[in-house]
Amino acid sequence: MGLIDKGRMPAPLTKLFNISRSYSLWVYQWGLACCAIEMGAAFASPRYDVMRLGVIPLPASPRQADFVCVSGTVTDKMAPAVKRLWEQMPEPKYAISMGSCANCGGPYWDSYSVTKGIDQIIPIDVYVPGCPPRPEALLEGIVLLQQRIKNEDMQAKWQGDPFTTLQATRAAERGELSAGDSTGETTHDISTDPQPIPERNRPEPIVVGGGPIE
Amino acid sequence: MAPLSDTDTTSGESDAPQALPGDGLREGIIDDLRQRIGDALIETHIVPNDDLTVRVSNESWAATGAALKAAGFTFFSWLSGIDWMPSPYGTGEEDPTAERDAIDMTIKQGVCGGDTRMQVLARLTDLNRHVGITLKADVDDENPVIDSWTGSFAGANWHERECHEMFGIGFNNHPDLRNMYLPGDFEGYPLRKDFPLLARMVKPWPGIVDVEPMPVQEEEDES
Amino acid sequence: MTMMSDRQQLSYIASQAADARLNVELETEGMTLNIGPQHPATHGTLRIIARLDGEQVIWAEPVAGYMHRGYEKLTEVRTFPQVTTLINRIDWLGSFANEVPFILAAEKLMEIEAPPRAQVIRTILFELSRIANVSLFLGDLGVQMGAVTPVFLAFRDREYVLNLIEGATGGRFHPNFDRIGGLKDDLPKGWIDETKQVMKKLIGFCDENENLLFGNEIFQSRMRGIGVIPADIAKEYGLSGANLRASGVDYDLRRDQDIALSYDLADWKVWTHPDGDSWARCWIRLQETRESCKIVLQLLDQIPAGPIMTKVPRIIKVPEGEAYVSTENPLGEMGYYVASKGGLGPFRVKIRSASFSNMSITPWVLKGVYVPDIVTILASLYFILGDIDR
Repeated sequence: MGLIDKGRMPAPLTKLFNISRSYSLWVYQWGLACCAIEMGAAFASPRYDVMRLGVIPLPASPRQADFVCVSGTVTDKMAPAVKRLWEQMPEPKYAISMGSCANCGGPYWDSYSVTKGIDQIIPIDVYVPGCPPRPEALLEGIVLLQQRIKNEDMQAKWQGDPFTTLQATRAAERGELSAGDSTGETTHDISTDPQPIPERNRPEPIVVGGGPIE
Repeated sequence: MAPLSDTDTTSGESDAPQALPGDGLREGIIDDLRQRIGDALIETHIVPNDDLTVRVSNESWAATGAALKAAGFTFFSWLSGIDWMPSPYGTGEEDPTAERDAIDMTIKQGVCGGDTRMQVLARLTDLNRHVGITLKADVDDENPVIDSWTGSFAGANWHERECHEMFGIGFNNHPDLRNMYLPGDFEGYPLRKDFPLLARMVKPWPGIVDVEPMPVQEEEDES
Repeated sequence: MTMMSDRQQLSYIASQAADARLNVELETEGMTLNIGPQHPATHGTLRIIARLDGEQVIWAEPVAGYMHRGYEKLTEVRTFPQVTTLINRIDWLGSFANEVPFILAAEKLMEIEAPPRAQVIRTILFELSRIANVSLFLGDLGVQMGAVTPVFLAFRDREYVLNLIEGATGGRFHPNFDRIGGLKDDLPKGWIDETKQVMKKLIGFCDENENLLFGNEIFQSRMRGIGVIPADIAKEYGLSGANLRASGVDYDLRRDQDIALSYDLADWKVWTHPDGDSWARCWIRLQETRESCKIVLQLLDQIPAGPIMTKVPRIIKVPEGEAYVSTENPLGEMGYYVASKGGLGPFRVKIRSASFSNMSITPWVLKGVYVPDIVTILASLYFILGDIDR
């Protein structure tokens, strides 16, 4: 993707990439507890059928996945495994946290062995609250994630710059916005740079159903 | 000699006829066990037609398991422990920052009594007679150790590992007393009453009293 | 009940011989195979470490604890009505069934009993959660063998049952419907007729599954004679439920204990199988799903009129005492040993969960099997991680 590295990513191409990315999402199922069954219902059941949204729930390994759906209670014993899984996934990658346990500990908020919130370990893009959430809620979370992907500025994301939408970057280029620090001045040459791609600045997470996560 | 059955604690039941078939069954079990292990049987408690609890001495724990297995209790249901000390942290429902009344720390053992803070519990079932028995044994406060049951019941292996991890009770002759649940760097024995739940130490529990009205009570209130 | 069938005996001898052979043959450098903690074949987050000699397992050990949430400690800091919310989530496929033994234990300590109507509705919901649980097992079984269709069928038909549970309780997954002294609400209008139709559908699902899966030659050859557990070993390890009955032990807590549930109103059968192999365990579960449908169909016509809640104080305090109540849950014997000191919450709750005991036999049963059989044996033992680790 030389165009991206040189900071000359044409907008129509970005749009095309974004659309194709958002409708061929491979999801790695990190099913842990009760929510895993509802996730299974959303992904495998004929009634909910996630594939109609362009999400393929059957990658063989996290290395082939675009986003991970962490559903269920994350215990302190499991947390290192979740972290390792996340590190194995290639960028661009997203994470959905499904269920109250993964969001904040849920009914086990006072337990001695439960990690209170998966966001302490990996950055989360979409929170789906519920105990467990209905499959419809998970589908809504996926649709919201797709909308975000469609509006993403791939170039900024690739370079590890703060998250901006495509529209914002173009507006900055035209001089309509002042905060245009993502126009490609600091080109990040991955072929020579030994540094890993920095963890991108995550945007504000989406919460299905709105409202803050407590 | 201890009394055959101590029905005094269930005062309401003591008026019931004593010759119920279930009673006879359970008293027969106790007689049989007394013949097998002798004075190691410390105390018994029968809930007529329902349940049977027996307390034996620490030294005879393994022998009791073997004796009951020979007596027909071949189904190993579970094994665990109990810490009879009242929790020094209360029930965790009070505001942790507020002043708290002194908690009565007297240790009071339950059915069949006991002399120590912690006890080991186990349950066996006779699948032919459809009768279960709960066993108890004291473990020493300073050095909580008891014999393992893995010789009689192979399934006790995991239960004893769990009990060891949760209560810190040691089991003699256990083949492999590793931790089972918690990560390696975990400290403390969670099910002991003096193990604090840190989340409750810093944040008050919002649902202090369950205020959801019961359906029947609603009707009463309306009328 | 220590009699072994011919098939059991043969397989047992074969596994013993495999054991002996391993000791005699030249020791080769073994290989250690790690499955999990996240693996499709482990239904969750069980990790299995197997040491192999070629294709044969010489030592296997499940590593539990990835789902340990500390239920027994948390129950000590909850009130009695709050505990049901928590314990719902132990066996998450058959949630309602988790509540019943705890509520029965609390009722026993309080010396009250639910009214007859509540008892019958409890039994119906108990069986519905068994159907919801085991139907997913029957679908998942196919996936373990590489057949994907059964899981779609299972999810399709399980949704109908979940709809019923949701219709009656308001909760699709975790109903939290059982109360000390009765139930939260009465059944909604039209629920009984709908349930009857769904039960007929579910019996159809069982027939379909039997034709599709159990009649399949590959399925049979991968299941028959694999993972044999003799009856006395099963009892020693505390196997319960279908796993115990598949070893020829005729014991079912629904029938064999005097408990405040209405199983005696229905005419049904406890299935046993003499073989004790993987196939027998799966077959028993299939038959039990059918029986459950029959129990529900019969009980639906016998729901008595009356209140659904007995008189209980507004703030529940359970008197001092100890009680152990166990019921025949979808996975096996699930029991609660409740010790109360007269407070708002329990002093100690020991949760006897079926999967914990069912899985404790894996080091024994996996010894000497071949690697592909690990998956089928684990599938047939049927466990739920929350039920192992609690």
